[in-house]
Amino acid sequence: MKMSDGTRRTVEFLLDNLVWLMLIVVLAVFSVTIPGYFQFGIFANILEQSTFVGVMAIGLAIVIIAGHLDLSVESTAALSAMVTGLLFAKSGIGMGLTMSPEWLMLPASLLLAILVGAVIGVINGFFVVRLGMTAFIVTLATFIWARGLVVAISGGRSAQSLAPSIRVIGIERILGVPLLAWISVACFIIFAVLMAKTPFGRYVTLVGGNREATFRAGINSDRILWLSFILAGALAGVAGWLLAIRTSGATANLGTGMLFNAFAAVVIGGVSLKGGIGKLPGVYAGVLLLYSIHTAINLMGLPAHFTQVILGGLVLAAVLLDTLKLRLREKLL
Amino acid sequence: MKRMLKLIRTATATSVMLASAAFAQEKGTIYYMVPTLLDEFQTESVNAIEMFMGQVGYKTVTLNADNKTDVQQGQMNDTILLKPDAIVIAPVDFNALTPSIERAREAGVPVMIFDRQITSTMIDFTSVAGTVEIGHVAAGEIQRLLKEKNGTVSGKVLQVLGDPGDPYTLDIQKGFEELMAAYPDVEIITKPAMQWEASNAGSIVADQMLVNPDIDLIFVHAAHLAVAAVASLEAAGKKPGDVMLVSSNGAPVGLDLIRQGWEQVEVEQPLYAQAAALAMFADKVVNGEEIKPATYDVLGLKSEVTIEDWGPNIKIPGAAITADNVDDTTFWGNLQAPSATVESVK
Repeated sequence: MKMSDGTRRTVEFLLDNLVWLMLIVVLAVFSVTIPGYFQFGIFANILEQSTFVGVMAIGLAIVIIAGHLDLSVESTAALSAMVTGLLFAKSGIGMGLTMSPEWLMLPASLLLAILVGAVIGVINGFFVVRLGMTAFIVTLATFIWARGLVVAISGGRSAQSLAPSIRVIGIERILGVPLLAWISVACFIIFAVLMAKTPFGRYVTLVGGNREATFRAGINSDRILWLSFILAGALAGVAGWLLAIRTSGATANLGTGMLFNAFAAVVIGGVSLKGGIGKLPGVYAGVLLLYSIHTAINLMGLPAHFTQVILGGLVLAAVLLDTLKLRLREKLL
Repeated sequence: MKRMLKLIRTATATSVMLASAAFAQEKGTIYYMVPTLLDEFQTESVNAIEMFMGQVGYKTVTLNADNKTDVQQGQMNDTILLKPDAIVIAPVDFNALTPSIERAREAGVPVMIFDRQITSTMIDFTSVAGTVEIGHVAAGEIQRLLKEKNGTVSGKVLQVLGDPGDPYTLDIQKGFEELMAAYPDVEIITKPAMQWEASNAGSIVADQMLVNPDIDLIFVHAAHLAVAAVASLEAAGKKPGDVMLVSSNGAPVGLDLIRQGWEQVEVEQPLYAQAAALAMFADKVVNGEEIKPATYDVLGLKSEVTIEDWGPNIKIPGAAITADNVDDTTFWGNLQAPSATVESVK
């Protein structure tokens, strides 16, 4: 079948943005079928709740597009959250560190969280890039030891009551939308531009597509991979910082299960696990889709025991649709 | 100054624990299978069991199962081969550990249960507060709070469970709903916080407060979930007391929330007394002596030993912590290990 250029462009646009269409359809169906779902506050909640996995998923997507994996993002976020809680929370095991002027605590805690994440990124990068070890194993090990470190430094206890100058991020709203949600939107815009419009972004995609070829083309692929791991760590650090702010502290199991949500969002968002393919706006749509489902389950009057079954089924359906999209693309374009 | 005093108190309590544990350990070794260390109750239970067992002459070795049933089964199998004097287990899964417990007893290793009751096989000694009973205490307190607010026991309650795969939270739910069934004017909305993760609880509260803004009271099954619930209430512009909050397990963070006015009641599990009871009866369990049904004084709490189908069982009453008694040092959430030493029951 011969397609005109216009039709081809339209089909390509629709397929490229299928995840957004899926999101719109899902939101429409939930709005019609679930009482109370269709309201501004619920949509603001979805944006807010997707913040942590969203920021985490940016870094994860970059590493996956670069042709590797980072299983450590969840534990990295947990460690950053615990360090933030330990230093800046007032109750529990929190040391209640203060600074003068008080607002300094906000950038200081953020920088510290980024630093914690970046250090873990450097460790991962060292083993994967310098020593040539498999990213799956290296980051799996980090996933385990970083969570272990959280338990060790907290003794299994919680830090609670973050300083108000930090908590402001979790309380304030702009145009009725929580500040946390604006932060995740800003992160997605910044990194989407970075990936689409800068040489770094193009090199990440090229390295993930064919590392050998990029090396021969004179691109320092090792440097790109190092940066990818460090970025993933730093972004996980930011996610942990935001998570600590949302929960006003940290518990030893904070963030548990987020890795799988981040992976699901990245895959639903159209990032190929083989590397070299993927765009961050799609990942954001994937995250929003997941949390639209989470929120729907929170509102539905279903027995608690079925929650995981429903969530798993819906995620599977979303991924099936994404696979269908790829098949359609192969057939039509 | 307050912080300094707290530090000194904690240091003193730790020294007492270490010193008492170091004293008399001539009787042998007991293994404690803790289900997880990601929970303040379980973490403190390690300190308490090691301390009290030390006081009656046993060295305690603790193994953490990371909330995995298969890991705990493996630990049981390994430990049986080491032939300890006894095993104390807080099972990850109430029923899945039954074959391992039977294997241990067949191998001559007595088994004591801490906190999480198993009734499907014979146990040498069980020390529990009773998870269903925690639900009962919570129901009683929630009925009182609703009556104080609305004039009758009526209103809307959001119940936030822990992970729906954990029998611990399901038992609390069972106990709670059993007693609430008599009040049809109370609507209970139940949602699980997957994997006991705090931000999941926060999301549930944020969503439910939008679609059910008339929620009178939130009942969360662990204090660390209450912290996230409060963060969501705060983000929604609520002030302490606008929405009542009840939690269970008595962790330090829950007590702090009571002091801040966010939480009205914390249902305490008497952790120290539960651990002390194990130590009091350890000699009898290890030596295979008869445990007689009676009322025993366990750290000042009158506790009943009964002989059940599954063996001797001591049930220690849980308590409701409110603003009036929150500073009572006997509550484990205040993290002040009891100064009184326990003695073996003769």
